[in-house]
Amino acid sequence: MKREIYAYRCRKCGHLHYPYRMVCAGCGDNEHNEFDPEPLPRAGTLLTFTKLYALPGDFEVPTLGLGIVELENGIRITGQLHIDDPSSGMKVIGEVEIVRSEEYEEYYGMVFCEA
Amino acid sequence: MRDVYAIGIGITSFTRLEFPLSEIAAYPVMMALKDAGIKEIDHLYVANMGGARVNHQTGLASAVVDTLSLTPAGAEVIENGPASGASAIKQGFLAVASGMHDVVAVTGAERMREVNSIEATEFVATLTHPLAEYIYGVTLPSLAGMFTRAYMEKYGVTSRHLAMVAVKNQNNALLNEFAHIHQAITVEGILDSPEALTNNPFIADPLRFFDCCPVSDGGASVILATREVAEKTGRPLVRLAGIGQATDTHCVHEREEPTDLLAVRRAAAQSFKMAGVGPLDVGVAELHDAFTILEIVESEEVGFFKKGEGHLALERGETQIGGKIPINPSGGLKGRGHPVGATGVAQAYEIVLQLRGEAGKRQVADPKIGFTCNFGGFGNNVVCLTFAREN
Amino acid sequence: MSVDLEKILRPIDHEMPPFPPKYMTIASGEEMVIRQVTRDEIPDILIHVAPLMSVERDFYDVVAARVYAELLAYYRHRMQDEYVLVAQIDGELCAVVNGRRVDGDTGMSLHTLALRRGLRIGAHAFAAKMEYHMDILGHKEVLIVAESPIGFRRWMIEYNLEKRFEIPHELGGPPSYALTSEIFERARGTLVIGRRPVPDALLEKAMEAILPPSDPPTPPEDLLAATRSKYDPTGTALILQRWMQQEKEEK
Repeated sequence: MKREIYAYRCRKCGHLHYPYRMVCAGCGDNEHNEFDPEPLPRAGTLLTFTKLYALPGDFEVPTLGLGIVELENGIRITGQLHIDDPSSGMKVIGEVEIVRSEEYEEYYGMVFCEA
Repeated sequence: MRDVYAIGIGITSFTRLEFPLSEIAAYPVMMALKDAGIKEIDHLYVANMGGARVNHQTGLASAVVDTLSLTPAGAEVIENGPASGASAIKQGFLAVASGMHDVVAVTGAERMREVNSIEATEFVATLTHPLAEYIYGVTLPSLAGMFTRAYMEKYGVTSRHLAMVAVKNQNNALLNEFAHIHQAITVEGILDSPEALTNNPFIADPLRFFDCCPVSDGGASVILATREVAEKTGRPLVRLAGIGQATDTHCVHEREEPTDLLAVRRAAAQSFKMAGVGPLDVGVAELHDAFTILEIVESEEVGFFKKGEGHLALERGETQIGGKIPINPSGGLKGRGHPVGATGVAQAYEIVLQLRGEAGKRQVADPKIGFTCNFGGFGNNVVCLTFAREN
Repeated sequence: MSVDLEKILRPIDHEMPPFPPKYMTIASGEEMVIRQVTRDEIPDILIHVAPLMSVERDFYDVVAARVYAELLAYYRHRMQDEYVLVAQIDGELCAVVNGRRVDGDTGMSLHTLALRRGLRIGAHAFAAKMEYHMDILGHKEVLIVAESPIGFRRWMIEYNLEKRFEIPHELGGPPSYALTSEIFERARGTLVIGRRPVPDALLEKAMEAILPPSDPPTPPEDLLAATRSKYDPTGTALILQRWMQQEKEEK
């Protein structure tokens, strides 16, 4: 199964949101709150990043790369980085993978590599 | 609306406190009541973020009001993340200004050292967006790290500027007997020496150990009252003249300009407008330096300096205790410590102390207007307060 | 007869090359010396370790009690192949680390006790210990366990130590972790720090005397204050101290 992360497009004004919100930030119309899910594109540009050394307790790795990526449709997303030497402005490509496991729960999110 | 005055202040040491959370919250109220010379209040607001999660205590306000034998006064907890303190002050202000109450106590308290620093960081990380941030392992330091990198690349802020903030605030904290960190550091030791990487390791690159505030326990309290009550205390009159609050997107990645802190800009502008003053009237400020970069950026967003020039003012020493606009004479979150629910009230404590001229060795020269910026989430809920000395 | 018994009881130490002293600039800008101490100096250290046995926080009590025992055993010849390093600033004792040689290839890391906090002195002292095992004693691996969650995070996870769970560690018998020479080489930049030789004046000051720590961790002012209301319940330690001081002065 190919997993996707979805953005949400307002049926009234077409504004695209990620993550989901209940009322459209574009038209603010609360008469209807219907959105169409739309898979996020995978390619984008790294805006900024960090290498985290002080990790939450359930991560058993020494460091974690995190970054904010602007995807090709203009939507921005926070994700994990599997990039040895990242730099701002670099082209990246994402994949949906397990990003965190807590006991029996597994969470999927976007993991970016160098494009 | 009626005018509202800060008539009494109290604080605990910010450190590791081996006492129940309810007592950490109650103690500064007791001190503040003593300070104001009163024994009764109409209502108590308790700012706290982690009682339920970290200390397994809910209904904290009821415990505190009873600990202080102030029943049957009304009491409630205000939770607004790390901005809980200023939010609680705002609620106290509204109660007095509206005419509903004449005297209210606001206290902020947190006991985070009951758990280890990994759990404490994780508790604060629950502020982040559950699905779009938290699951990735995003913590507040990591958001600050990404923000810092963007800021450095855009405005030429360097690690040296960040280190200068750390050194300044830890030096100020040496003059504050209630501060958590009583340890002088030098730019040489944390940045230039061949051993700097061990002395000051990376936490969230480019942020390092000494760029991050400590995890602290502590409590602080302010008593708010009408002018009539304030005049009876015979103390310098300090008016809570302006309050501003603004929110921003929950996810940091959704901000249009990644280097802006719009909620700070808007909350500060509102607060100044309500007080009828401008940023350049401010004589002393307490900004929310949970990370050193934030002191620099907030000093710009609130209007002390132009955007992108805060680090230059820092270089010129303008934010030192003797400078043009002293920032964080208490040591700030960096030096005084950051018990999340208490911080906003502790900032107000410092400003009232400074405006009264009672700050001792760290007294700023005759300030008339004082300002606080209490920053919740990573800038998604910001409360700014403006205080004015009246006589 | 008793002399003969002592011959049996007293372990025979292997030849171990000494740790060459080094120095470093710490966060406060001060210069710190890390050096090996001789048996004769152990009593001077023990008096500063003893008070920490009653500090019931961050595992100071457990670590101090065990360090005390290990140092005493070294002093009285009841531990084989042990070494003790100290970190000093202007003579002041800032950290004690110890360990032992298990055999020609393996070292056993015992304790890291920091007496000044907030300056990452423990990290420097621990690193010196690893350098001693790997670079000077020529060990292939050092067995390590942590007694506190922070220690576990810092060593086991940050350095990604290898599991040697089949070997019970000498500190209470839990499964061991190992710093291998490969991990050590990878982390050389953070584990081999400091400069040599130590300038004469600095070393002389350090050798002259082991001075007491200026601000050691202390037990809470009053362990039972939380459940009693003597003086005041939440005692800002400082205010409490001041009041108690005032009372004393008034008397």
